[in-house]
Amino acid sequence: MPEQAEPKASARPSQAALAGVGLGLRWDFLEEVLDGPPPDVAFFEVSPENYLGRGGYYPAALERIRERYPIVSHGLTLSIGASDEPDPSYLRQLKRELDRLQVPWHSDHLCFSTAGERVLHELLPLKFCAENVGRVAERARRIEDLLERPFALENISYYVHPGEPEMQELEFINGVLDGCNAGLLLDVNNVYVNARNHGFDPHAFIAGLPLERVLEIHVAGHEVLASGLVLDTHGERVVSPVLALLEWTLERTGEVPVLLERDNQVPPLAELLGEVRVLTELSARALARRAERHATRA
Amino acid sequence: MQRALESAIAELTLGPAIAPEDSAAIAAWLERHELTGDDARALTRDFPRLLVYRTLVRRNLRGALESTIPRAIARLGPRFDADFAEFLDESPPVTRLLKDVTPRFLAFALPRWQRDPTVPGYLPDLARHEALQIEVATLLARPKENVLAELGLDDQVEFIDAARLVHYDWAVHRLPEDEASRALPERARISLLAYRSPEHEVRYLELGAFAAELLSRLLVGRQSLRLALTGAAAQLELPLESELLGASARLLSELAERGALLGKTPMDLPITPTQLG
Repeated sequence: MPEQAEPKASARPSQAALAGVGLGLRWDFLEEVLDGPPPDVAFFEVSPENYLGRGGYYPAALERIRERYPIVSHGLTLSIGASDEPDPSYLRQLKRELDRLQVPWHSDHLCFSTAGERVLHELLPLKFCAENVGRVAERARRIEDLLERPFALENISYYVHPGEPEMQELEFINGVLDGCNAGLLLDVNNVYVNARNHGFDPHAFIAGLPLERVLEIHVAGHEVLASGLVLDTHGERVVSPVLALLEWTLERTGEVPVLLERDNQVPPLAELLGEVRVLTELSARALARRAERHATRA
Repeated sequence: MQRALESAIAELTLGPAIAPEDSAAIAAWLERHELTGDDARALTRDFPRLLVYRTLVRRNLRGALESTIPRAIARLGPRFDADFAEFLDESPPVTRLLKDVTPRFLAFALPRWQRDPTVPGYLPDLARHEALQIEVATLLARPKENVLAELGLDDQVEFIDAARLVHYDWAVHRLPEDEASRALPERARISLLAYRSPEHEVRYLELGAFAAELLSRLLVGRQSLRLALTGAAAQLELPLESELLGASARLLSELAERGALLGKTPMDLPITPTQLG
């Protein structure tokens, strides 16, 4: 498997306040989190779009959860790669919400999800081209300034490249990161899904990323269609090959917050917490091996 | 290229279906969006795979509607598929918040259903009622700690922000919650106050004619209590005597107990925009 130089610790945006394994906060188990025994998770992640412009129970519940757990924020509809500028009113609302929740950073996806005024509510792939690299990097710089906190971009799952690529996905992501200060939200399941669908080595892909820029890692389950296409559904348990890839990745990134995402067919909280425990043990193993390696070198 | 691609993907996902074997239709689609050369060749080659995004986009948006107006959709049956397809094609979502997709869909579909004799007459009211539940549950509410409980006849009455007064032609609020139920609602002029309780529950209060007229003037018309009482009595040709005044006092008192009515509108509290549902 490919190796790369050890990440430079100083290059990663500050994340000292957060470590361990978190869970995507879903309304399916919100009451259980509030009223049951305190779940053993390091943090919760929310999508601000589920709370923006909304009063009532859910924002009030989130406020109570925020008093007990760190919260990080992961957006869905920034549409950073669209030809039009991101909606300024959305950005203003987003900033207010991030301030209210006091999140240490915000992330969104390296994709587009709008077409002019139309909002498609899906993460759509950008063409891997220099024009898009420049536009996204420039916007990421401005968005980080506007949000006044570290900002990270997530590598998405994509099922087809839109048109003839000018470069490979790895070069595209690295080009964007080279042109801005944004961190990388590395979705290990997305790398695995893309590797299966497009036929590349996920280890080589991850090794080629600037791992010192990884601010957070996501893992989730996926679904394999009868056609063989792998869909990033967030509706299943994380499969063993993705767990193994995560472990391999953590050994190279060092300690990075890991988040378990589950958006569909959400099981009881106890089952998700079981997965969180698996991820916590896996992280500990990876970090121990990394420490051993460092000790041996020393 | 990105703008052309967005426009092409929007049509592919929201517009009428293009069959993957229809090469002429695919070529016309690319031409409409001025996609040419290597990109056009790649998109043509990968067209069947691109259709995955049509499935995903439509599934997400349909899911947003199914979670908010499930009974109306179930009762519409296959007819909903056509409404949904035309909605996406003609008036697609322009909001980043999924909760706002349903109001946009209803703004598109309600007039069509009302014009169409094949759609049950009560269906628009049922869809509105289902959407009302979500709307009231999620309305933003301003802090109103400065509202005084004492209420004089010449005062404006301050309600919580999470309150809506609606009128139906069918008693759809009494229908079973079961999506499989096909029970028919009674035809009746219904006025309903929907409000969010301090415990964040959406509650309903069915109003008689005078109460509906009074609350309409207080909540929507922002009239003073005196004007609202005299106006409502005159509208319904009722003598404003002790019995009616007593009933009005009991209504306002009950609304205060339920947490829907706060008291006297303070001078520094901005007037709420029209709150007619």
